[in-house]
Amino acid sequence: MITTAWWASEDFWRKATIWITAFMVVVLIVLTYDSLSQISAGTERVPAYSAINNRIYYRQDKSRNMPVPVIGDPAPLFGKILSETEAEALVEKGKITTQAKNCMGCHTILGNGAYFAPDLTKAWLDPAWGSEGTREQLMMRFLLDPPANSRGYGSKRRMPNLGITEEEARGIIAFLKWMSTIDTNGFPRNFTPIAQEGDR
Amino acid sequence: MFEPVEIQNILVATMAGALVVMFGALYALGFAMGKLNKQPGMLRAAYGAYAALSVSVFVLAYTLNLNGIWWGVTLTMLIGYLLAPQAIWKLSVKTHEFSD
Amino acid sequence: MKLGVLDSSNLTGGQQLAVKYYTVAVVLFGAQILFGLFAGLQFLAPEFGYNVLDFSVNRMVHVNAMIVWMLYGFIGAIYWLVEEEAGTELVGLKLGNLAFWVLTAAVTVVVLVYLFVQTGPGEIESIWFINEGREYIEAPRWADIGIVVCLLVFFYNVAATFMKGKWSGISGVLVFDLVAVAGLYLAGMFYTTNVSVEQYWWWWVIHLWVEATWEVLIGCIMAWGLIKTLGASRKIVTTWLYIEVALMLGAGILGLGHHYFWIGTPEYWFTVGGFFSALEPVPLVAMVVHAVYDSGVHRFKNTNHPALAWLIAHAFGNFFGAGVFGFMHTLPQVNLYTHGTQWSSSHGHFAFFGAYATINIAMFYIALQKWRGNVYMSAGLADNGWKWKWALGLLNMGVVGMTMALLVSGYEQAFVERALGGSTWAAYFAAQNSVWFIQGMLWREIFGLMTAAGFGLLVWDLVTIGRTETRSMLIPAEAAKAAA
Repeated sequence: MITTAWWASEDFWRKATIWITAFMVVVLIVLTYDSLSQISAGTERVPAYSAINNRIYYRQDKSRNMPVPVIGDPAPLFGKILSETEAEALVEKGKITTQAKNCMGCHTILGNGAYFAPDLTKAWLDPAWGSEGTREQLMMRFLLDPPANSRGYGSKRRMPNLGITEEEARGIIAFLKWMSTIDTNGFPRNFTPIAQEGDR
Repeated sequence: MFEPVEIQNILVATMAGALVVMFGALYALGFAMGKLNKQPGMLRAAYGAYAALSVSVFVLAYTLNLNGIWWGVTLTMLIGYLLAPQAIWKLSVKTHEFSD
Repeated sequence: MKLGVLDSSNLTGGQQLAVKYYTVAVVLFGAQILFGLFAGLQFLAPEFGYNVLDFSVNRMVHVNAMIVWMLYGFIGAIYWLVEEEAGTELVGLKLGNLAFWVLTAAVTVVVLVYLFVQTGPGEIESIWFINEGREYIEAPRWADIGIVVCLLVFFYNVAATFMKGKWSGISGVLVFDLVAVAGLYLAGMFYTTNVSVEQYWWWWVIHLWVEATWEVLIGCIMAWGLIKTLGASRKIVTTWLYIEVALMLGAGILGLGHHYFWIGTPEYWFTVGGFFSALEPVPLVAMVVHAVYDSGVHRFKNTNHPALAWLIAHAFGNFFGAGVFGFMHTLPQVNLYTHGTQWSSSHGHFAFFGAYATINIAMFYIALQKWRGNVYMSAGLADNGWKWKWALGLLNMGVVGMTMALLVSGYEQAFVERALGGSTWAAYFAAQNSVWFIQGMLWREIFGLMTAAGFGLLVWDLVTIGRTETRSMLIPAEAAKAAA
């Protein structure tokens, strides 16, 4: 029987595998604790749901070398200031609806999903809605009857009618507005937001 | 500091990224075959592939504006791709020594 | 037993259960391709299936069928080997059969609901009973619970069989890995309104499955295959299984960071994700060196050419699909342009096929060989084995072709939509309408049809290969032992 070098033995590699895996898992768990504390709603990176009461800007942060969302002066959604609880309930309605209607089957959300329809991460800030004044109304009209209000931009793709109710549409719009406040480290690249009052 | 790739460099950067891995495998392949068949020519070709890999790594690092802490990633690639096949070769030889 | 006849008495109980899983896996593979063709066609003709089978439905069935057929293939492979590895009979064959039928019925119901109910009202009940609306794990919550229960039965069967029989290094790794596979699925089973937190955990399931635990599973199956079919030394194979697992999990677990660049998570993930993504190709390079060494030192004989060819396809597909196509767009400096474009789907098609579809197909051939009474399946097959060769060629060329076509479209999207256009909806459609993008989509569909043709041929071959063969793979002494 030839005794092999310790660093090439089965025993060594079994232990090494266990230790390496365990170490990586521990590091991941530590980073997970830290990340979750930084992305819970109401933090700098992921603002509270009541942020939908305010105007959302998207401005270049020179020190970080990327554009970041900035929460501005009051600009309540559907003309009504909501408490934190009310805002959360509305956003929750929208979030559940985006799952129940499988929005990710065509769109991307934070860049994840399918690639048949545009990304929804900054949908609230997209210039597609023309101006700040018409945005809420246009979004509502579109969601209630997508085929009739589809733009397509020269493509024949149209969103199908998913039977979204007015209540659900309000929720979706609130969810999209809230999602646009999330600090996504400059994703999507070079995004050009809609013109809003108070732009510099 | 994180600085996205310049528009005109997207293609070069992604191709350089692909080439890093491909030359890495070529180097590994040439190295292993050269050692196995005791062909110095093959070993030289392998180090040629490693030289091409180094160029790809530098093109990648340059086009991706890798600076500061990102130099760690660049160095990891250079050292890792150089030493990993050699270490794996040594392990292959040693692990096949035992008889069961 | 007559050689060349499909006869269940050629198989052990666990292996009979395995071929059931394989059969459903092949059916789901077909569904994946079919619905992929539908979805791909909708890029070219958006009116196709509008309001009946919308893109979201086709795409959901396409990706779900893929995940589920791969899981079926893995479960089948493990049931295939567990008895031989443990040296004893499966502990709960009846229970295993029951779980198979329950799981298959659940999958059927889920697909029917996807196709005929499709979406629900914006209530939590929709998530429980219709679909969860989360890419890859769309299955409604009731089905999630069912899947976990069936996986636990599977886990019990595997672990208890090893406990009754004997343990080995391979079975130890396997059982630990199965705990992780089942445990990670739980991370995707809750609702939260905070989309950043949701996607954080969602990636635990997706990434830690496909870039960590599934790879380990494949490693275990390969290790068993090397010992079993090539007579490699158990001690050496086990040592190398440990080395591979150490490398894969050492890089792969924190490689998770490359999914945390843009979902709201802190900037340190740039560094963590970038660093460990740069390390992720290392195990692939390691395999190159070791494979060369092994093939040079040993002269292996092989009695199953189709299986061997698919294992070689696995080595190449895994290297290019996961290694090259993964690393080329993984660093955040470039991922900022490519994330969420067809570039991702280019990588996805190549990597899933190369790393996992290939190995499952190889296992199908290994199963068929034994099922037909250890028939010889190497050189000199009937009709020169044209069916398996063409199936191999068409499937691989089809997937590589789709990958290249999607890469062209993805590049166009990264460039026109992100770099020049400003990532708005108008910019998105400007890219979608550009000539190169549409060309890419057209060629993707053509290569998709090639893949489908390859699949058709594969099924035909699986049904017929070895049927008229008169040679046994066993040498006479072994055959006498097997008959006794």
